[in-house]
Amino acid sequence: MQTPTRRTFLGICLGGLAAAGAVAAAYPLLSYLAPPSTGSEGAKVSFPETDIPPDGAKFFDYRGSTGVVIRTRQGQLLALSAICTHLGCIVQWEKEKQDFLCPCHAGRYSPEGTVIAGPPPRPLAKLPFVVVNGVITVG
Amino acid sequence: MTIIRAIRRWLEVRLGIDELVEKQLTGYLLPRNINAWYSLGSVLLVIFGIQVATGILLLVYYVPDAQKAFSSVSQIMNDVPFGWLIRMSHAVGSNMMVAVLLLHMLSTLFMGSYKSPRELNWLTGFILFNLVLAISLTGYLLPWSQLSFWATTVATNSAGAIPVIGTYLTEFLRGGKLVGPATLGRFFAVHVALLPVAIALLVGAHLFILERIGVSTPPFGLKETTNTWQGDRFRYEGHPGGIPFFPNYLLQDATTIMIYLAVFFAVVFFDPYLFFPPTAFVPADPYRTPAHIKPEWYFLANYQTLKVFPNELLGLMVQGAAMTFLALLPFIDRGRERHPLKRPAFLVCFIGGIILYLAMMIWGHYS
Ligand code: FES
Repeated sequence: MQTPTRRTFLGICLGGLAAAGAVAAAYPLLSYLAPPSTGSEGAKVSFPETDIPPDGAKFFDYRGSTGVVIRTRQGQLLALSAICTHLGCIVQWEKEKQDFLCPCHAGRYSPEGTVIAGPPPRPLAKLPFVVVNGVITVG
Repeated sequence: MTIIRAIRRWLEVRLGIDELVEKQLTGYLLPRNINAWYSLGSVLLVIFGIQVATGILLLVYYVPDAQKAFSSVSQIMNDVPFGWLIRMSHAVGSNMMVAVLLLHMLSTLFMGSYKSPRELNWLTGFILFNLVLAISLTGYLLPWSQLSFWATTVATNSAGAIPVIGTYLTEFLRGGKLVGPATLGRFFAVHVALLPVAIALLVGAHLFILERIGVSTPPFGLKETTNTWQGDRFRYEGHPGGIPFFPNYLLQDATTIMIYLAVFFAVVFFDPYLFFPPTAFVPADPYRTPAHIKPEWYFLANYQTLKVFPNELLGLMVQGAAMTFLALLPFIDRGRERHPLKRPAFLVCFIGGIILYLAMMIWGHYS
């Protein structure tokens, strides 16, 4: 004769086993589906200074997102994040106007990244960089 | 707890699940002497589920492009977390599926369950068997290894032995004169879209037919029900005094499934390369045929048959005849007796057939 307590106990044991089984199945599954960690945290990006055309811009992958280095007409080098602070589009460097235009909602930024016009709430993030022997290293 | 009960009650009033459970599960009676062999169908259902789930997961990273297929599979195996587990489960699972399917067929044959009025069950099962072989064959090509490439070359080549349309058929299967990127494209489509849907539909039909006519009474053990099927009108074969499907037989199903899973994971974890020859790890090279190219174990008997007969067409015809005979067995074997010991001629053919199949397989392996 089964007492209700034994039945409850076995029920809990069975539930525990089922839960353990579910975790054992879910863990590999979620790990499998999780986006790969790029492992590029803190990675630096280097390229020769000559990659940047006169008063032009060079876009590059930077820690899983996009960065840009521009050379202004005055010959000044600037490294910025190319992600628009409004809704995340990639800004374009306008050579003639010497400013950044975000094509999505017409946000405008100065070469230093400050907002001139449009919806962006914050300036473009500045990226640290050094120039050694004609090689630019961002990061 | 009360909230769960309230939701249950709310759903119950609208869906009437209890009535369904009563009719299909607790009230669905099986013969009292039903045995463990009958649970292999449930095992196959679970295997199919695992194959579908792991297959969908593999699609996340697999690239069906001759240039990238092999490296994407290597990436799944080496870089993606637990990618090896998903891929090995899929590859090992396909082999196990064929093995369990053979056992399922053998037990059906041995206990005479294919006999009237279950011809349709046998036929749908037989088609399913062929579809599973086809899905295994098409899946084999996808990793684009030397093994895949040449096994597919050999397999599609045998279609060329058919008179008149042979050459055209081979080219049609390959999507070109030789196995190449076009073959990968069509095999991929057939493997991931066409065959899974066809198999799912047939499994549905197979189960529907089984549910309608009722489970057959095993010919041994206590005999409390006899086959009373008359053949005049539809009649569900009831089993008065039998055991309910739920929970009694479902427990047997669960037990067999657990045993299967234990064996399955033992292979996946401890001997995952059991079914992989070394050529499975070399990228396909259309300019170099590896030595001793052999098909998977379940095609070894067919492979050896083709080699035994001097003429490829003759070999194909013998196999076709054997398969046709097997498919039509319930229409040929009309006797009502289902006990194997009371059917000596059948028993001799049964055991002889198994020995012949195994012998051809072993011969094929070592030749
Ligand atoms: S996203 Fe750049 S302006 Fe809206």
